[in-house]
Amino acid sequence: MTATGPAGLGIGWRPEIAGFVADLPGLRFVEVVAEALAAGGPLPDGLAALRGRGVTVVPHGVRLSLGGAEPVDPARVAHLARVAALVDAPLVSEHIAFVRAGGLEAGHLLPLPRTREAVAAVAANVRRARAELPVPIALEPIAALFDWPDDELDEADFLTEIIAATDAYLLLDVANVYANARNRGTDPLALLDRLPLERIAYAHVAGGAEQAGVYHDTHTDPVPAAVLELVGALCDRRRPPALLLERDGHYPPAAELRAELDALAAASGFPAVT
Amino acid sequence: MTGAAHDLAARQAALVSALVAGGPLPPGFAAGPVEAARRALLRKRGGEVARHWPLLAAGLGADWPATFAGWAAGRPGNGSLRDGWDLARTLRERDALPPVAAEELALREAAARYDGRQAPRPRRLPAVGRAGGAVAVQLAGRVRLLRPAPR
Repeated sequence: MTATGPAGLGIGWRPEIAGFVADLPGLRFVEVVAEALAAGGPLPDGLAALRGRGVTVVPHGVRLSLGGAEPVDPARVAHLARVAALVDAPLVSEHIAFVRAGGLEAGHLLPLPRTREAVAAVAANVRRARAELPVPIALEPIAALFDWPDDELDEADFLTEIIAATDAYLLLDVANVYANARNRGTDPLALLDRLPLERIAYAHVAGGAEQAGVYHDTHTDPVPAAVLELVGALCDRRRPPALLLERDGHYPPAAELRAELDALAAASGFPAVT
Repeated sequence: MTGAAHDLAARQAALVSALVAGGPLPPGFAAGPVEAARRALLRKRGGEVARHWPLLAAGLGADWPATFAGWAAGRPGNGSLRDGWDLARTLRERDALPPVAAEELALREAAARYDGRQAPRPRRLPAVGRAGGAVAVQLAGRVRLLRPAPR
C-alpha cells in the first residue's frame, strides 16, 4: 500500500462502540461497514469526528457478492464508490464470497468452489467494480463452514490466482485463516508461507468460539490466544501495513476491549492505540 | 452468461436455497457442515432481527433464539425490519406476544403501514396500532402508547 493507506492498529467502527473508539488516543485507522453508511451522507457524528482528526476510514463492503456468478449489482458498486468518496478513503475492501443467488439472500458470506471458473467469476466482478470505484480494492478470504465438492485448487493457489487475476490487494483475516485451518485440519502456517504477503493492504483479527466441534468466526467472542499467536507468526514473516480488530456484538466492557487492542499491539509490534 | 457462468450460477442458487429456503442439499456437499452453516445463518439473522426489534427479543428472553429459528427456518429473509414484523404478527395471532413485545408492535403498527410484502411506509394520517391488548396512537407523526399491554 501507499503511504496514505491504513497504517498501524485499528478497530472496526460500529455505532455501539463509537464512544470507546473516539477515546482511543493513538488511533489512526478504522473500518466501517459500507452498507451501514448513507451514500449521500451525512456521516455519523463519531465517524465524522474521526475524519476530522485525520483518522483513515476504509469502507468495508459485505453485500457486493463479488463471487456471484451473476454480474455485480451496479447500484451496490455505485453506493460503495460514493461512500469511499464520502470518507475520502484510500481504498475499499470486500470479500471473496457470494451472498445471494437465484433471487435469494443468504444473509452471510458463502464460500466459492475453489475452481478456475470461480476465479474467473471473481475477476469479472472485480473488474466491473473497479471501473466505477475511485480507489483500489482489497479482497478478503472468508471463514468457510463448508467446502464445495469439486475444488480444483487449494486455498493458497485459489487466493494467489485471484489476486493475480484482479490486481487487487489482499485483506488477510488472520482469524479466518485460523478458523479454516482448524476446521479443515490443515496447517495455518503452511498457508501463510504460500500467500502473496506483499499484497496485503491490511489484516483483520476477530474472536470466535467453538460450537458443536466447529470453530465459528463469530466476531462476538474474545480473540483466542491461538489467533494472537498466528498474528505474531504473520508479522514475523512480513508485517502487514495495518491490523484491524473486528467486533460485531456482545460488546465487552471498555477495559476488556482495550486489553484486546493492547494484546494485538504486543503480538504485532505496532504501537498501542489505547 | 456463458455456459460455465450459468452452471456456477445454478449451483450457487441451489446452495442458497438449501441454506435459507428449505431446498435439498445439492449433490456432493457434506450434509453436516452445510447444516452447521444453515444454523449459523439463522443465529446471525436472529441477532440482526433482535437489533431491529429489541423488545420482541427481550420479551422472549431465553426463548428468542429458538422462537426465531423455528419461525425463520426455510423462510428466506426479507430484511430485519420486515422479518421481525412478520414474526411479531405471527406471535400476535397466536396470543404469544410478551407484553413489552406487544407494545413494540403496537407502536410500529401505529407509526407505519406495512402490507407484509413491501417495505413499511410512514403513515401520514392519524392511526391506531393494537397488539396483545396494547394500544398505540400516531398523530401528526408522533407515536405514543395509549394503553400498555396487560401484565
